Amino acid sequence: MSLSQSIRLSDSPPADPLRQFSKRVGVATLVLLGLWSLALWLTPYQPAAADFLNRLAPPSAAHWAGTDHLGRDIATRLLYGAGWSLGLSLAISLTGFVVGTVVGILAARSGPAGDFAVMRVTDSFFAFPELIAAVTFAGLFGPSTTNLVIALMVVSWMKFARLARALTLSLGDSDFITQARLNGLSNGLILWRHLLPNILPSLLVLWTNSWSRTILSVSGLSFLGFGVQPPSAEWGAMLLDGKAYMQTAPHIMIFPGLAVLLAVMVINLTGDRLRDLMAGKT
Amino acid sequence: MQQNKPLISISNLQVSVGDKQLLSDVSFDLCEGEMLCIVGESGAGKSTLVKALQGMMPAHCDRFTYARSSTEVCGAIPAGLGLAQARWVMQDPLAALNPRQSLGRSIAESLHKENLPKDKLRKRVLSALDDVELSADFYDRLPSQVSLGQAQRACLARALIAQPKLIFFDEPLSALDALVQKKIAQRMESLRRATNTTYIAVTHDLGFAAAYADKVLLLREGAVSAYQSRMAFFANPQSDYAKDLVAAAQSLGALPEAAA
Repeated sequence: MSLSQSIRLSDSPPADPLRQFSKRVGVATLVLLGLWSLALWLTPYQPAAADFLNRLAPPSAAHWAGTDHLGRDIATRLLYGAGWSLGLSLAISLTGFVVGTVVGILAARSGPAGDFAVMRVTDSFFAFPELIAAVTFAGLFGPSTTNLVIALMVVSWMKFARLARALTLSLGDSDFITQARLNGLSNGLILWRHLLPNILPSLLVLWTNSWSRTILSVSGLSFLGFGVQPPSAEWGAMLLDGKAYMQTAPHIMIFPGLAVLLAVMVINLTGDRLRDLMAGKT
Repeated sequence: MQQNKPLISISNLQVSVGDKQLLSDVSFDLCEGEMLCIVGESGAGKSTLVKALQGMMPAHCDRFTYARSSTEVCGAIPAGLGLAQARWVMQDPLAALNPRQSLGRSIAESLHKENLPKDKLRKRVLSALDDVELSADFYDRLPSQVSLGQAQRACLARALIAQPKLIFFDEPLSALDALVQKKIAQRMESLRRATNTTYIAVTHDLGFAAAYADKVLLLREGAVSAYQSRMAFFANPQSDYAKDLVAAAQSLGALPEAAA
């Protein structure tokens, strides 16, 4: 046995980078959630509590991010707003992820005719740009959080369907799935053990992208007045609150803007890292 | 070979897709423990033959018997005929193994139909790993965490663990480098002798056929160009094409002395 081979055999295997990365992201998420709940619990202010003696106050020791035109503590509102901005967009993009993946796999597995039908429906949904769909929905049914969520959900799943379909088709006749089939595994088991583990990483990358874009859509539409309505502390709605005071009290807009920027950046960079790890594997 | 129980016998196999005749008039028979090498250039129908025998291609034949079973087939070969006990080792081990599944679990899937309890299954897998000279800590490794040769050995273990009567090999060595080729070829050979398994191997490599095959089936453009025992094939090839092929391999020094 050659030297290199004996080293290879005695060494513990190199860790699976994908698994390591998921663990790290999981821990980071838990830590962030913990810090967030802690902050919500510690803050002495209520997000909707007006304090007219302290209107438009700049950042200080008492109000870390200052106060807005009603004297509400912006830092506290940002914390509560995270629930709106991140939570709503998380729910929307997760729905798109799950629905799209199911639709895509079904299309790929349902024969040429079914595939054609499903994918043409998908294409027709693609014809509606997100913003226009949401604005139209708000115009028809009135601006509200529920309508915003419904509108964005309706147009959130197509990319996942396309990707899931393409990945399923390309894996469908791969050697290892042929082996599983020859070994007598049921379709369900093949899906669960062989297909999903191999297509999920790519779909997750797409999902991070979709989540960050949805954050922008939710806050953007709320800023335009079509989404989450004041006095709810959604980040986009906070930007709208601050617009009138942009010259005199810019901090009202700066902090929610930074929050959106930071959230989108962190999610995108996580997705990029995931994509790089996958590229390194194949 | 002392054992001479016939295992598989097929005559006048025809495979066509649409109007295109992919294979015509292919016949051979093999006994237990024998090795048949199917050789021929790319596109000659080697892999098609393997797929047809596993019922993955629409195929017809005059007569097909397997393992002396009562299933003597005449006409279309149905999918999953008695060959359920056969296993298939593919050319590219990394494509044949699920990249997100550990080697141990991939190997264990070969016994899926036997519904063994977990600890028993694990024991079987570990002993199969041992048969191909992989240590127990390969059980939990992913295909990306082993070398190509180790991955192909895991595929070999996946085939052997089911104790099949017949194993198909589709160019099992061509993705590997020479040293690993030799190791795996020797391992295949010693396991064949130990378990009396029949091998049907598709290969480009006449040297491999000359070293290990009992019979050689040469295909050309979907038809049999030569079907002879190894000795006869290399000493006295049946057809002109076979003669040219053997001469070419000899001039490249690809054949062992004994076969030349």
